[in-house]
Amino acid sequence: MTTPIDQILPAETGERLRLARESAKMTQAAAAQAIGVARTTIVAMEQGERRARTSELQQLAKLYGTSVNAVLRRESVHVDLAPRFRRMVGSDEAAAEAAELMADLAKAEVELENLLGIKRERNYPPERTILPGDVKAQAEQDAAELRQRLGLGIGPVTNIVTLLEMELGVRVYIRRVDGRISGVFAYDDALGACILLNANHPRERRNNSGGHETGHLISTRRQPEILHLDEIENSREERYANAFARAFLTPARAVLQKFQEVTAGADRMTRRHVIILAYFFGVSREAMVRRLEELGSVKLGTWDWFVANGGITDEQARQVLGDLIFPDAEKADADRPTTLRLNLLAYEAHRRGLMSEGQLARLLHLDRVELREILGSQPHEGDDADGGREILE
Amino acid sequence: MAVNRTKVTTPTEAGKYLSNCPSPLVADTSVVINLIATGFASSIIGALPQPFVVVDVVPSELAIGRGRGRMDFEQFDELVNGGIVKVFNLGHIGMQHFEGLVIGAAAETLDDGEAATIACAIEQSGVAYIDERKAWRICSERYPALRVGCTVDLLTHADVRAQLSDETVADAIFNALQRGRMSVLPTHFSAVVSLIGAERAALCESLPRSIRVSAQKPAV
Repeated sequence: MTTPIDQILPAETGERLRLARESAKMTQAAAAQAIGVARTTIVAMEQGERRARTSELQQLAKLYGTSVNAVLRRESVHVDLAPRFRRMVGSDEAAAEAAELMADLAKAEVELENLLGIKRERNYPPERTILPGDVKAQAEQDAAELRQRLGLGIGPVTNIVTLLEMELGVRVYIRRVDGRISGVFAYDDALGACILLNANHPRERRNNSGGHETGHLISTRRQPEILHLDEIENSREERYANAFARAFLTPARAVLQKFQEVTAGADRMTRRHVIILAYFFGVSREAMVRRLEELGSVKLGTWDWFVANGGITDEQARQVLGDLIFPDAEKADADRPTTLRLNLLAYEAHRRGLMSEGQLARLLHLDRVELREILGSQPHEGDDADGGREILE
Repeated sequence: MAVNRTKVTTPTEAGKYLSNCPSPLVADTSVVINLIATGFASSIIGALPQPFVVVDVVPSELAIGRGRGRMDFEQFDELVNGGIVKVFNLGHIGMQHFEGLVIGAAAETLDDGEAATIACAIEQSGVAYIDERKAWRICSERYPALRVGCTVDLLTHADVRAQLSDETVADAIFNALQRGRMSVLPTHFSAVVSLIGAERAALCESLPRSIRVSAQKPAV
C-alpha cells in the first residue's frame, strides 16, 4: 500500500530533514543518540538511502523544535540560509539570530504568498561584479546607474525601504535585533533578495544600512552578509558597499548643490547646516559630514571636531527641525509579534481555510494566543470594517 | 484513510452526544489553552463524564508559549499530575492516520497536534475536540463518522453546568474569550452571549463586532 510519505522522494525528505537538523544546530550524532538510532541511520535518511518511518519523523521533528507537517507539507519553503549564515558568523550569536529571524520571516512570507497565489515582482538591478581597480569609482558609477534606472535624478531617497520593496521587489524586514547588528542581506532563488534592518537604530542609520545592503545586492548577490555597527572596512566588498550607500543616498552633484544653497553666505559650517542637510538626504548627521569631507566641501576631520566639541545632539535637531520630525512608524511596526504584511497573509490563509491555527502558529513562531490576537485584530466576516467592494481581476 | 463508524456528526452537534458516550474526549492544544484560560479547567474536566485525554504532541506545543511568559504548560502539567488529564501516544493505526493528515498539500494537512488529536480520536473511538474550522472540514470530508466538538461544547455540557452553576460557567466562558481569545462557532454565538450577558460579550474581541454590537442593542 502506498502511504503519503512514499509520495515524496526519499532524497527530498532527507534534504528537508537535514535542513531542519541544521536549523536546530544539531549534529547527526546528537540527533541519532536522542532518538536511539545509529548515526549512520541519520546519515542514510538524510541522503535518501533509507526511508524514515513516521514515528522517527515525529521524534526528529520534536527534537528539532518543528513538526512533521512543517517539514513535509508540500508548499513549505526549505532553504539553508540560517546554516549558511551560522557558518559565516561563527560564534556571533546575535548575528546568527538576526539572520535566522530574517530567514524565518522570508520563508513564511513566501509560503503564504505561494498558497494564496500571490506573485511578487522581482525587478532587481543587473549584477555588477567588482572589478580590479578603484572600488569607489565603480560604486559611484553603479549607484548613478541605479538612480537613473529608477528615475531618481539627483533627488534624495528619504525612504529606501519603500524604494527597495516597491521598485525593486526586495523583501525588507525592520525588526528589533541586537544593537551591534545594522543589517542582514541574503539572496536565495526561492526567497529572492532579502534585507533585514535594525529597528533599534534611528531611521537615518537604517537608511544608510539599506544603502549598504543594496550595494551587496548589486555587487555580491550570492554572498550572505551581516553588517555590524561601525564595521571596519576590511575587504573590497565592504568598501564597495559603503561607497555605494554614500553615492546612492548622497549623490555628489546633489550634495554639492544643496550644500551651497544651505550654507550660502556663511563662512563656516554650523550644526544647523549639518542638521538641515542630513534631514534633506535622510541620512545620519555623521554620514552627511563625512560625505562632505569626502567631496572636499569641508576639511577632513570636521566630524571629529564636532564630536570633540559636544557633538550634534537630537535636541539640537529638534530645535532646528521642529514639526518636520515625524514619528518612526517602522519602529512601532517592529514591536508587533510579526510584520503587518505577514499578519494580513496569515489572516487570509486562515480565513480561506488554507492554514490551520497550529500550522500558522508554527510558521510564524508565535504562541497560540498571540496568533489569535493577530487573526482577531483583522475584521471578522460580517463586521462593518470587513464590508467592501469586489476586487476586479 | 476514512473510517466509517456509528452516526455521522457535525461539530456543532457533538455536544449533545457527550453524556451518552463512554469514549474518551481527545482535546487538541487549542482546546486545552481555552480550558486553562477559563480558570476552572480542573473542575470543568472533572465534571465531564468521559475520560479526558490529549496526545503527547500537545504538551510540547503548550511549551512553546513558555518562552513568552505563558503558564499553560505548567497548569497543564498539574492537571496531568492530578490524574485529571491523561496523555496518550499514538498506536500503529493512529500513526497511519497521523501520516495521512500531516503529509501532503498545506490546504489538506494539519499541524502535528491537530492531526494527532484526530488520529487518536479515531484510534480510541473517541471524540476529537478542536477549535479549528479547517480541521472540522478535513474531518467531515475524510472521516465523516468521527465525532468532532469544540471548547464551547465542553463548557456548556449539561454535567458541567450542573456541577459548576451557570454563573461559574459564564465566568469560565468569559475568561476563555478574554484571556485565551477563544474562537466561537457562528452556531454557538447566541448561546455564548446569553450565558455571559450582553455587557460582557461587548468586551470580547474574539467575538465578531456585529455580535458584540447586536448583543448590546435593546430587544424590540
